[in-house]
Amino acid sequence: MSARRRNRASGSMPSGVTRREFITRGGATLGGLALAPALLSSGRAFASVGADGPGGKVNVLNWPLYIDKKSKKDFSKSTGVALKYNEGINDNNEFFAKYQEELSQGKSIGFDVVTPTSWMAARLIDLGYVQKLPLGDIPNSANLAPVFQNPAWDPTGEYSLPWQTGITGIAYNIKVTKRELTSVDDLFDKKFKGKIGVLSEMRDTMGLMALSEGVDPSTIDFAQAKGAFKKLEKASNGGQIRRFTGNDYQDDLVAGNFAACVSWSGDVAQLTVENEDLRFVIPDEGGMKWADTMLWATPSNNGPQVAAWMNYFYDPVNAARLANDIGYISPVAGIEDEIAKLDSAAVDNPLLFPPADVQARLHAFGQLSAKDEEKFDNRFAEIAGA
Amino acid sequence: MAGTAQQGARRRRFAPYGLLSPGVIWLILFFLVPLGYLLRASLSTRPNRFVPNDLSFSWHWSTYSDAISQFSGQFQRSFEYAGITTLLCIAIGFPLAYVIAFRGGKYKSLLLGLVVIPFFTTFLIRTIAWKTILADTGVVVSVLRTIGVLGENGRLLATPAGVIGGLTYNFLPFMILPIYVSLEKIDPDLVAAAKDLYASPGRAFRKVVLPLALPGVIAGSLLTFIPACGDFVNAVFLGSPRTTMIGNVVQNQFLVQLDYPTAAALGFILMVIITVAVLLYARILGTEDLTG
Repeated sequence: MSARRRNRASGSMPSGVTRREFITRGGATLGGLALAPALLSSGRAFASVGADGPGGKVNVLNWPLYIDKKSKKDFSKSTGVALKYNEGINDNNEFFAKYQEELSQGKSIGFDVVTPTSWMAARLIDLGYVQKLPLGDIPNSANLAPVFQNPAWDPTGEYSLPWQTGITGIAYNIKVTKRELTSVDDLFDKKFKGKIGVLSEMRDTMGLMALSEGVDPSTIDFAQAKGAFKKLEKASNGGQIRRFTGNDYQDDLVAGNFAACVSWSGDVAQLTVENEDLRFVIPDEGGMKWADTMLWATPSNNGPQVAAWMNYFYDPVNAARLANDIGYISPVAGIEDEIAKLDSAAVDNPLLFPPADVQARLHAFGQLSAKDEEKFDNRFAEIAGA
Repeated sequence: MAGTAQQGARRRRFAPYGLLSPGVIWLILFFLVPLGYLLRASLSTRPNRFVPNDLSFSWHWSTYSDAISQFSGQFQRSFEYAGITTLLCIAIGFPLAYVIAFRGGKYKSLLLGLVVIPFFTTFLIRTIAWKTILADTGVVVSVLRTIGVLGENGRLLATPAGVIGGLTYNFLPFMILPIYVSLEKIDPDLVAAAKDLYASPGRAFRKVVLPLALPGVIAGSLLTFIPACGDFVNAVFLGSPRTTMIGNVVQNQFLVQLDYPTAAALGFILMVIITVAVLLYARILGTEDLTG
């Protein structure tokens, strides 16, 4: 009754909006509509807003939930480059299968920048599907943390710049486990039968399995992985493992369908804000570290715009805001001070700034030979039931 | 004069083919040609694993034998799940269609509408919704645990029951609608006549209604069984690594392993098995309606 009265009082306006607000907002919308074609058709319109950027537009393909809102807006404002941002990568293999044909024929895939994981970056570099970065136009690339200079996936460091890096470990829902977990072997606890998830990203899951078998994933080959595969197979056939998941492990974890699962640090960091029952642990045996990398796809000729994009996120202020917001580890050196300004506690968060003792327990999955990679993929698919 | 008559005769002779041509061209362009490509791909090898389109044709028959031996488990499971799904759909769909057709009265259209309404939401959303409904900590599972249908740690998701349940739910309308159509066509006087001839209601149903409804049941079975065999969505969301179906294998071979020959061979094998199964099924039930 009172609701109806309130509505009548404000005339035909939607509740909570005064007539004047309505008019201003409407005006702004109309103005926006009028401006939109100009903005879309030429980047120059943006250039007049930004200082002295190259104008034009950059098309970026990235993973879901991997950027903060402010960066998306602020990037165009401060560089004068329009942004088209797509969250279309769900899985490295799916990404490759989707764009391989165009890339192999030298056709445009509609994106200037793509952001797969480092091992996939190595494959794309190897196949000649990406171009050397215009590093001369990316002065901030000097801020790249030393550990990521000339990495294994891009030995000359000319083709890639990491977007974010992170840790693969174990997430668990304490309401279901009813105890803290500390080790990869906890995934094989009979009490959690049918309530364990593992990632369909082979390197993440097999990395942890190898560590639990005492094998170093950074130098692993197929023969050494035998025990680790056997362990996973036994668990899968025995009904211990409920699902092989992509990023959607979050739903099962929150719903309590998973007691524990192999997962990525930043996701859980974001989830724990809303759900106190969720925990993330780097297992005693060690965790996996990885990097998602920005690449310049062929045959894009938007070099200056691509440079603007990468340069923007290698600015410590922007890098700090991004990392703090999405909870992953920035590849940009010296952002502690900037993050401390945003959130004084963040600097002590071992998932954002892993201290030396944590770093020592993290391993990167080694580059596999083409033959071994095929064997790994086939064996892994066999265990996943497909 | 004679010429025009001849022309007319010729026109009459070719007219049926002319009228058929859109369908025939469609079949050739969108069925036979792709099928040829598929067959060719299945008999090729790929020199570079990461350039899957670069296939070299080599009569590579062992792709077939490898695919069969490697994935026989998933094939078997697919047919098992699809078979159970079809039976469940008949068990649920027939009584429903019967009630709508003979007892629906003025609510007939409304009831049929209710059968179709779920289609307004996408298939994917509906399947994912079941994940929420059947979650381990959800109401359904806890009730079933309390009344002892499920054990203390029992669950529905990530079990064969979950996958078959999802398949049954998703394909049920494809069973109800054809059965309804064939039941709707039955003249109620036939049933009345059977009863006049002292047939019990059960006998009247068996001797009159059931035979006349059979074409609907067969059509419904095909519409349920064939897509259920190739389905992979239900197994992804409601299943576990031990409930994967052949559709999951095809998806993985195509989109993850980039093994186009194996994926194409799997498609062919599935098609052949389904064709044989359908012909046998139609033969046993003796339906001139479907097989000519």
